[in-house]
Amino acid sequence: MRNALAIAKKELSIYFTTPTAYAVFCGMTFIAGMMFLAALGYFQRMSMQFLSFQQPQLLDHLNLTDMVVYPLLRNVGVIFLFMTPFLSMRLVADEKRSRTFELLMTSPLRPFEIMLGKYLAALGLMAAAVILLGLFPLIVSFFSASGTLMNAGTTSPVEWPTVFSGLAGLFLVGAAMMAVGMFVSSLTESVVVSALVTFVVLLVVWILNWQAGRMEGTARAVLDYLSMPTHLDAFARGAPALKDLVYFLSFMILGPFFTERAIEAHRWA
Amino acid sequence: MIEVRNLTKRYRDLAAIQDVSFDVKKGEILGFLGRNGAGKTTTMRILTGFLPATSGTAKVAGFDVFERPLEVKRRVGYLPEQPPLYLDMTAYGYLKFVAAIKGIPKAKLKGEIERVANLTAIGSVMDRVLANLSKGFRQRVGLAQALLGDPEVLILDEPTVGLDPIQVREFRDLVKTFAGKHTVILSTHILSEITATCQRVLIIRDGKVVACDDLAGLAQKHQEQKSLEEIFVKLAEN
Repeated sequence: MRNALAIAKKELSIYFTTPTAYAVFCGMTFIAGMMFLAALGYFQRMSMQFLSFQQPQLLDHLNLTDMVVYPLLRNVGVIFLFMTPFLSMRLVADEKRSRTFELLMTSPLRPFEIMLGKYLAALGLMAAAVILLGLFPLIVSFFSASGTLMNAGTTSPVEWPTVFSGLAGLFLVGAAMMAVGMFVSSLTESVVVSALVTFVVLLVVWILNWQAGRMEGTARAVLDYLSMPTHLDAFARGAPALKDLVYFLSFMILGPFFTERAIEAHRWA
Repeated sequence: MIEVRNLTKRYRDLAAIQDVSFDVKKGEILGFLGRNGAGKTTTMRILTGFLPATSGTAKVAGFDVFERPLEVKRRVGYLPEQPPLYLDMTAYGYLKFVAAIKGIPKAKLKGEIERVANLTAIGSVMDRVLANLSKGFRQRVGLAQALLGDPEVLILDEPTVGLDPIQVREFRDLVKTFAGKHTVILSTHILSEITATCQRVLIIRDGKVVACDDLAGLAQKHQEQKSLEEIFVKLAEN
């Protein structure tokens, strides 16, 4: 475990002493901020309209969690789709390219420890990303509590359980994507190939349910289940089922497992 | 300490090394000679467990490198041809990381890093980012990494590449102090390095051992050649 932690620490220190993590996180928060403002603007227009209808009871159906935070968290999944390949691309591929893989493979480390260290670092990055994104609901709650966003008393405050479920869902999406990215990275020496292939694989998994609409029965259910947004949506709505968790966990187990195999394979060829 | 028996490594049709056998006794310094592409690096990579052999066996300290990799890796310090540096890290951060994955206890970590830094004279660059170091310093940080944990066996692949003449001399003096304490395999193109530091020489050509003897024995066998250089040219040239 100490070995894995040493590797995780090394990975994170490289991410955070080079511009990589900062560039990716900046991009992520900037785009998320645009999405956030758009959702907030829409919410404001809707509440103004409802007010002008003189139907205050309709306002009860408007709430910040459902109209701002929920779409935001869902859309951030798409940002993750673009972001994670850039974070995962160097995990193993860069070690091979810069010959440091030789150091890892000739040190008294098990392939499992190498993999675990790398994946822990990846999870650390995703946790940092999710914490940054948690600032948006925090802003919403701050302003809705102080009543500046709209008339006090008419808005329901942010429902934190739903928000936390959504953020947990995002973390799982990130963790699953990093698992795919790490495995792809362990198959190549080129970070560019690594990022590109990861992106293509993730995009396919992301849009799998676009085909579901044309299908019926089992095929439809299968495609729906296999595509990632279905499960992120369940978390963002605040009602994740066990199958949603199982979906993400299967990535988080299979990705590292295959990565470990890919690293071990180097000892054989 | 090191036993190599009938080691062969094939990449498809290309045989990088064929039927290589040799022994290195404890505390001995073996000079490993051969032209570029003769199979020096491949042999060293097999000995360190980085590559598997196609056939044959290699044992370090009695442990088979393929069957018991961790036992072997714990005892071997390895400097590859290209020093395996994380260029984004500082020299100190890098050595700390390597010390950690080599299992050096936390309490001894600082002292051990200081020790190897002194041996390789890199104390002045410990806080600098490796990417900004000159080739000679990078090479020495790589050497420092191999020395961490005071391993019984040192495998050094062209360790003096990029060093200036004074550093080369310092390096030779350092290696001489290893005699008797560490078992060393040292590959190089520089023949004077061998005569200065090594007790025995192993010369390979096209993946096959052509000579494995101590310096005196080699001189006796090839009396018509005046120097090691001439012997090398005769043996290593096809």
